[in-house]
Amino acid sequence: MKIPKHILPFAFIGPAMLFLAAMLLWPLAQAIILSLQSVRSVGTTGDWVGLSNYREVLIDPVFWGSAWLSLIWVLANAVLQTLLALVAALALNQSFPGVRIARTWIVLTWIVPTVVVVMIWRWLFSTSGGIVNPLLMLSGVTDAPVGFFANPTIAFATLVFINSWRWFPFITLMMLAGLTRIPRDLYEAASIDGAGPWKRFSRITWPLLAPTLGVLLVIGTLLSFNVFDIIWLLTAGGPADSTRTLPVLIYETAFKSYRMSEAAAVAVLATVFLMGFALLATRWLARPPEAR
Amino acid sequence: MGDVTLSGISKSFGNVQVIPGLDLSIHAGEFVVFVGPSGCGKSTLLRMIAGLEEPASGTIEIAGRDVTQAEPADRQLAMVFQTYALYPHMNVAQNMEFGLEMAKMPKAERLKAVKSAAEILQITELMDRKPRELSGGQRQRVAIGRAIVRNPALFLFDEPLSNLDAELRVQMRLEIARLHSELSATMIYVTHDQTEAMTMADRIVVLRKGVIEQVGRPRELYTNPDNLFVAGFIGSPRMNLLRGTVTGRAASGAALVDVPQLSLSQLEVPLRVADSKISGQVTLGLRPEDFTEPASGGLVVTLHARVIEDLGGSAYIYSSTGREDAIVAEISRRVLPKVGDFLDLGIRGRDCFLFGADGDRL
Amino acid sequence: MKRTLRWNLALLAVLVSLATLILLPFWFVLTGSIKEPAEIIGREPTMFPQSFTLQHYAKLISASDYPVYMMNSMIVATASTVITLLLAIPAGYAFFRMSFAGRETLYRAILLAYAFPSIVILIPLFGIFAKLGLLDSRLALVLVNVAFALPFAIWMLRSFFASIPIEIEEAARLDGGAPLTVLRRIMIPLVAPGIAAVAVFTFITSWTEYVFASVMILSDAKRPMPVGFSGIIGQYQIDWGLLLAGASLSLLPVVILFAFVGRWFVAGLTEGAVK
Repeated sequence: MKIPKHILPFAFIGPAMLFLAAMLLWPLAQAIILSLQSVRSVGTTGDWVGLSNYREVLIDPVFWGSAWLSLIWVLANAVLQTLLALVAALALNQSFPGVRIARTWIVLTWIVPTVVVVMIWRWLFSTSGGIVNPLLMLSGVTDAPVGFFANPTIAFATLVFINSWRWFPFITLMMLAGLTRIPRDLYEAASIDGAGPWKRFSRITWPLLAPTLGVLLVIGTLLSFNVFDIIWLLTAGGPADSTRTLPVLIYETAFKSYRMSEAAAVAVLATVFLMGFALLATRWLARPPEAR
Repeated sequence: MGDVTLSGISKSFGNVQVIPGLDLSIHAGEFVVFVGPSGCGKSTLLRMIAGLEEPASGTIEIAGRDVTQAEPADRQLAMVFQTYALYPHMNVAQNMEFGLEMAKMPKAERLKAVKSAAEILQITELMDRKPRELSGGQRQRVAIGRAIVRNPALFLFDEPLSNLDAELRVQMRLEIARLHSELSATMIYVTHDQTEAMTMADRIVVLRKGVIEQVGRPRELYTNPDNLFVAGFIGSPRMNLLRGTVTGRAASGAALVDVPQLSLSQLEVPLRVADSKISGQVTLGLRPEDFTEPASGGLVVTLHARVIEDLGGSAYIYSSTGREDAIVAEISRRVLPKVGDFLDLGIRGRDCFLFGADGDRL
Repeated sequence: MKRTLRWNLALLAVLVSLATLILLPFWFVLTGSIKEPAEIIGREPTMFPQSFTLQHYAKLISASDYPVYMMNSMIVATASTVITLLLAIPAGYAFFRMSFAGRETLYRAILLAYAFPSIVILIPLFGIFAKLGLLDSRLALVLVNVAFALPFAIWMLRSFFASIPIEIEEAARLDGGAPLTVLRRIMIPLVAPGIAAVAVFTFITSWTEYVFASVMILSDAKRPMPVGFSGIIGQYQIDWGLLLAGASLSLLPVVILFAFVGRWFVAGLTEGAVK
């Protein structure tokens, strides 16, 4: 079958593009429409109310509280994951017996389904059983079991830890990719020039890795923002709404409080934040090297 | 069959015009070499003939057919790439068969064609190996085999030998030349190495900045260059190019030239067109190998041997250490002068070339 | 490059910490799943099991639809992977090799797909699927998984195609291949590691998907493993043994899969370009 040359590219990308448009763009449009109505529960219809949902949401402290939590969530995850990933990637970039196995299996925590991650840590951190609390009490660090999911601030930190535990290996691999692309002779030349390991890191590794790190930070941020299942399954946004990030708020509003349109409005606003961030970030990443 | 005609070909990449406008005729069965420095457009030209690039204007005809818009596969040609471009996941036999399979040749015929091509190139024992198991020279042969198998009217070679070591290069040069006489196909060969051009070509096309400086048989280009560029490009080591002043005319119509760098005056240099009006500053060209024994007639010059390169059978004398204004002479004496010696050598005016201010041959 | 003793020790320390951080939790889970209930909730956690029982596994398999859930996940994940590859390979190739109007813009637009909170699509998609009668169907899950995996898949494949020397494609063009044939016979075999990486990525993310599955699937028969599993655990009040057995069993398929193709996945990620 001979497809004319100028149509060929579109035949190649067409199916994928149409699929994405149908599955992502169309629902997004629907979400926007939904947010301009007053739909309560799924399947029902509502009247047009224009921007009133948005007005209500934007003056609602609950919304801003969640937005704030999402921000902290994203930052905390970024810091923890980047640190862990950097250390791990640097270590895996060396050569030692078993390095290939290590590189393959570092992603063990990422390939495991989120539910399983949740269950594992729910058990490990539980206050009636588990491993962490017994160990803490045995070694005398605490007298009573720590409510890892019951205490507001600790719950948030625990979730950040669990989420990072799950995701950092993936980031590690991508960082490793960036590291392996740095030619070995640069290090050798530097070491002949008398540079020690720290100098080699700060003068060669860091500058050459920086672009990759930038991209990973952006991607990581987008991914962390979206995390829903870990939070929902462990704390459902609690205790006392201390872990109710925006995705959790949206889910709750739509499926628990039966205020679909309001949830859609929050979702659209969250999309705007995220898109804005992504656009700004990619522009900042694409700036010419002299500006760095 | 197999002749190529380029008319009015031009090409730009973005805002840069690499080929302003070019015409060229290649006869069937010829071995033509495109040669020139990097960036002269020789590869671009080859790729346009292959159909991998489109000219901005002009037409390309192969075997009398206008192929300017035709797909590469429809042009009845085959190409050998600088990096061989063998399919890494297929073995040698499959690599050679692929093009025939695309042309929907029946299996039995394909196997026959591959077998005979393999025999010509002496790679029959390698048929089951993958490219990564072959040496550079072997890969090159497979690449050529892949081209032969399609029995094209026109072969294109894009710097095929530049990735080989020196000895292998000489060997492959002979092989390709042998191939040409056996197959009597038209071959267009691109290289930046003027030695390859001189030894292999029926005709050489010298290119600079997208413009054809001269086309002709190797000996033509050597003995009768049209301009400064060709004179300096062809021949190794490079022709000496010296400043000269025309002071008058001889009775024969030759020019009388003063060459201060050699402390010469009144050197009689014949012109292409006798009695043509020239005067003033010119460039005098003299090949290193044209310096003679002082006794053989002509004028005598004295060179200060600053650097001596001894190649065994001959030696190059450099009259200064800087490359730019060194005067190079080739001598074949068994007994070499010592560094720092002063050497007397002969020059004949009729061995010299004169070039005007614009580089054209006088 | 030689490392001093100090750095070797530092490297060792880092590696041991990483191994502990990653493997220790799994160790406890696996060993816990075969411990007697009494030992599991004992005050002193034991590194090595003092007891042995398979009761938790027995309970898990017999008293629930667990096998059904696993089967559903297998079907959905496999289908998602196949469809993603079918769509992403030509697209990745076209975005790299072919030139057409709007190529760069479209490409960046695809990557922007990850700037969506997936939650924002959940609500309308639920409504759309309801209208189309796709609720409670595995097809719905496949569609969702493909949509989320496609941008990454296209991105990865594009950079893999980019790493193939252009001369090989030109040789194929000269050999007379139509673009689809060139893609099939030459390009795809050469990007096999990339394809493996994308396949593993898609399979794993499909296997793991929870949110959409929990909302879209209503009946037990169609439920995939993550949702089913969390349902079982919720049902039986804090039966740690059961939970640990379930977790261990849920790990099994992905770990086995990864044991076979993990190499390629890592090679694919580390060799594929990061933009």
